Amino acid sequence: MIERSSSAMPQSGSRLPSDHRLKDRVTAPRGYWWWRQGRFSVLIDRRDVLALLVLLLALLVASGTYLCLGNVPIAPAALWQMILGEGEAMPRFVVEQLRLPRLVAAVATGAAFAVAGCLMQTLARNRLATPGIIGIDNGATAFAVASVVGVGLSLAPSAMALAGATTAAVITFGLSVGGGARGYRFIVAGIGVGAVFAALTQLMLARSAIDLANAAWPWTVGSLNSRPPNATLVLLIGLVLGMPLSLWLARSLGLMRFSDAVAMSLGVPMRRRRFQVLATSVVLTGLAVAVAGPVGMVSLIGPEIARSLGSPRQVPVLGSALAGALVMVLADLCGRLLLAPLELPVGIVTAVVGGPWLLWILLRSSGSR
Amino acid sequence: MIDEKLRRPMQAALMLLLVTCVASLLIGAGDVGVWRSLMVLFRAEDADAAFTVWSLRLPRTLVGLAVGMALAISGALLQAISRNPLAEPGLLGVSAGSALAVAIMLSLGASMMELRVGMAQLGALLGCACVLSVTRLRGVGNDPIRLVLAGAAFSSLLAALTSLLLLMDQRAADEIRFWVVGSLAGRRVDDLLAVLPSMALAGLVLLALVRPLSSLALGERASAGLGHHPGRLRLLAVIIVALLVGGATAIAGPIAFVGLVVPFLARSLCGPDLRRTLWLCLPLGPLLVLLADILSRCLVAPSELPLGVLTAICGAPVLIAVVRARRLPTLS
Amino acid sequence: MNNPSSLEAQPLPDSNVPCLPYEVEALTLRHGRYTVIEELQLGLPSGQLTAIVGPNGCGKSTLLAGLARLHAPAAGRVLLDGRDIRGLPSAELATRVALLPQEALAPEGLTVTDLIRFGRQPHQAWWQQWSEEDQRVVAEALAAAGLESLADRSLDTLSGGQRQRAWIAMTIAQQTPVILLDEPTSALDLGHQLEVFELLRKLVGEGRTIVMVVHDLTSACRYADHLVAMRGGQIVAEGSPGEVVTSQLVRELYDVDCTLVEDPVTGKPLLAGLGRVQ
Repeated sequence: MIERSSSAMPQSGSRLPSDHRLKDRVTAPRGYWWWRQGRFSVLIDRRDVLALLVLLLALLVASGTYLCLGNVPIAPAALWQMILGEGEAMPRFVVEQLRLPRLVAAVATGAAFAVAGCLMQTLARNRLATPGIIGIDNGATAFAVASVVGVGLSLAPSAMALAGATTAAVITFGLSVGGGARGYRFIVAGIGVGAVFAALTQLMLARSAIDLANAAWPWTVGSLNSRPPNATLVLLIGLVLGMPLSLWLARSLGLMRFSDAVAMSLGVPMRRRRFQVLATSVVLTGLAVAVAGPVGMVSLIGPEIARSLGSPRQVPVLGSALAGALVMVLADLCGRLLLAPLELPVGIVTAVVGGPWLLWILLRSSGSR
Repeated sequence: MIDEKLRRPMQAALMLLLVTCVASLLIGAGDVGVWRSLMVLFRAEDADAAFTVWSLRLPRTLVGLAVGMALAISGALLQAISRNPLAEPGLLGVSAGSALAVAIMLSLGASMMELRVGMAQLGALLGCACVLSVTRLRGVGNDPIRLVLAGAAFSSLLAALTSLLLLMDQRAADEIRFWVVGSLAGRRVDDLLAVLPSMALAGLVLLALVRPLSSLALGERASAGLGHHPGRLRLLAVIIVALLVGGATAIAGPIAFVGLVVPFLARSLCGPDLRRTLWLCLPLGPLLVLLADILSRCLVAPSELPLGVLTAICGAPVLIAVVRARRLPTLS
Repeated sequence: MNNPSSLEAQPLPDSNVPCLPYEVEALTLRHGRYTVIEELQLGLPSGQLTAIVGPNGCGKSTLLAGLARLHAPAAGRVLLDGRDIRGLPSAELATRVALLPQEALAPEGLTVTDLIRFGRQPHQAWWQQWSEEDQRVVAEALAAAGLESLADRSLDTLSGGQRQRAWIAMTIAQQTPVILLDEPTSALDLGHQLEVFELLRKLVGEGRTIVMVVHDLTSACRYADHLVAMRGGQIVAEGSPGEVVTSQLVRELYDVDCTLVEDPVTGKPLLAGLGRVQ
């Protein structure tokens, strides 16, 4: 039995095993489309394409609804006219000046939060390790509030939120390195760090004058209503740079879902990739917090939806972005409509929906991945 | 009751507590300084200072004593029945549950203190029951850290619902917001009197239960083998916790981490036996709360910090330390 | 420097001619302050199956991790084809050395083919995700591991032995001259253990160098060409199993007394009459 050696090594290309699928020369693996052009040879996962189309369609419908509904309802037909460049001045003003910027902010923050969550979950191999849960949101919020109430520096909220997110991430990861960073411990260390930053936020709000505190309040719950000027623009720039980077990282991330040893054995330079993934995730989170405050649940729900729709073979970066944007748009739409004329901050809507979801995940599964 | 291992930490804690109580009477954010307050204690005629000391600071100190004891004891109890060193009323969402109950009641328009206490205790009971029943499912209870996550998810949900109420009702919002951050400022003796009966009841029941409860640390089977009824014990303990936490929350608002830090300290001072831990929690809990309260008055004088902020800042490092410890300390 | 494709193109010889020397020079590995392996010298014969044996905690898994560059050396070098592996880019190393760690876990929902395709990733780039070569190698790996009929089954539904064979098929698809395995049979029953060992023999027969850590000395004797016995971070004995394994060695390694007999079927040493040293 030891001597019997079937020649399955490279030099024996002519003596292939008689697998029926090899008869027609080269085919894409099952469930893929294969696109080949010159040196390029790209596999496209059919299920992913389907999932992306569904999500995109849902996002478009939700966006249309978002633009139409509100204190001043606008008929879908009128909206269509507006897209074609016609329509009356008043609804036009409502849509272009009020709802469209807010919609853009919702889509951008939702995508950023969800992609950041997807990256972080894969990095930590734990679907609960989202920036919101491990305290990065709280760090960004504390710093953004600091910039608004004028404690210390007067940097733009985006820069401050970025600095806060980085600080919180560094502390959490620093704390979990020494103590054997096994999944859940790292998360609880993050909860602790988050609690400290949340307390610091409270402290600053308590110290500052009441109108300043009111100005900073949206950040503590998460709202799209009081976006700092230019923060959305900064976030969009961040997304334009961050999305291609994340998509490129997704290939390594697919291997990083396995254990470290397997990923390294398959040629992933772990230390470098880990840093790149973490940095991308932190930057996206920080910039998104600067716009909308800590709407951390989106970074949990978005990737979860994307994973359940898409194929298990890939890390669903693009799907997470679309799903996150969809969740954010729907949540803000609900927040605007449910108790109109009163407006619910989007952070509260997502927390009410996301809390049970989180519990369900905890109970249902072993929490791996 | 007081054995050799307990005596020295107990003596030290009691001394410190006494000093802290006096300090709490003397130190304040207003213009009645330490010296003037000290004169009041020795019968100096100073109506202004006397009012500050006896009508503002004394009730506050008393409330601090009660709240500290209640939270510390309930933390130790929760940890004993869930056999989990991270179980704590704030982290598990028990405080958030009673906060939500009170917020609902206030937004419905009732603001009587007795009613508030009852609602808070009911909310705490529901919160406690929810989280603990969750942990009985599919091995979550065996994993201390997952219990905390479940609690975090649960309390963030409850907190969101509370903010929802705040938003919907501006009139109630002012009253709630003042209370929801957790503070001892402006509490009156009447508030304390409304809470005291239920807390005293809880204490009495607890006194009878200490021995059987300490056997729970050995595990359900061993406890049953010693002739106790683990299920019944756990239920009673949950009710005690709800009475204590609900009472504390009704007066002072949700204050996190006291129930984590104090039992942790107590265990490291006198060992893991529940019979000793509970006794040591009695002076240590108020000690922590009063110290945090004094700090909250001094740090940003003349205004005040919410107490919950300070306990979170000292509690979170303890949480991290517990988690970082290579093996989670067991509660044998 | 050989690039990977030229390596593959060389016809691999059937005999034990060294084609990719793999050596360890004065290697010291530490876990924090604790030194696991100190100043270790070792040469791994090419085209052979080497088994590393030793008691628990003797540093054999750490040595394997050091060989695969999972564990950075505190001192010394690991030389692959005369070059220090620390100087190799990760992607290049992955085309030369494959490692299968103990109890490897895969994300949920992958099929056997999906898993094996991941083994091709070191040979691909984001703009070249599939080729004739890839398809051929994946099919061959499936065939070599005897998994053709299970190709589209989800990993979660396989038995332990089948899953382990799927993982080995992934390392086969990686097409590396060297394969390192950490206790590939530790969680398997007897039949499945044989399945895996026979597959490894087949791969060695094709000219690959395989290094595995095993617990069971009898299996190591039976299937390995070369045996490395370790204790306390040191190599105690090294050589072909027939020469190296003596009752004295067993005593030295495990504090166990035994008598060695010859397996009537394979002629390999067999441990009998085991008992703790009094």
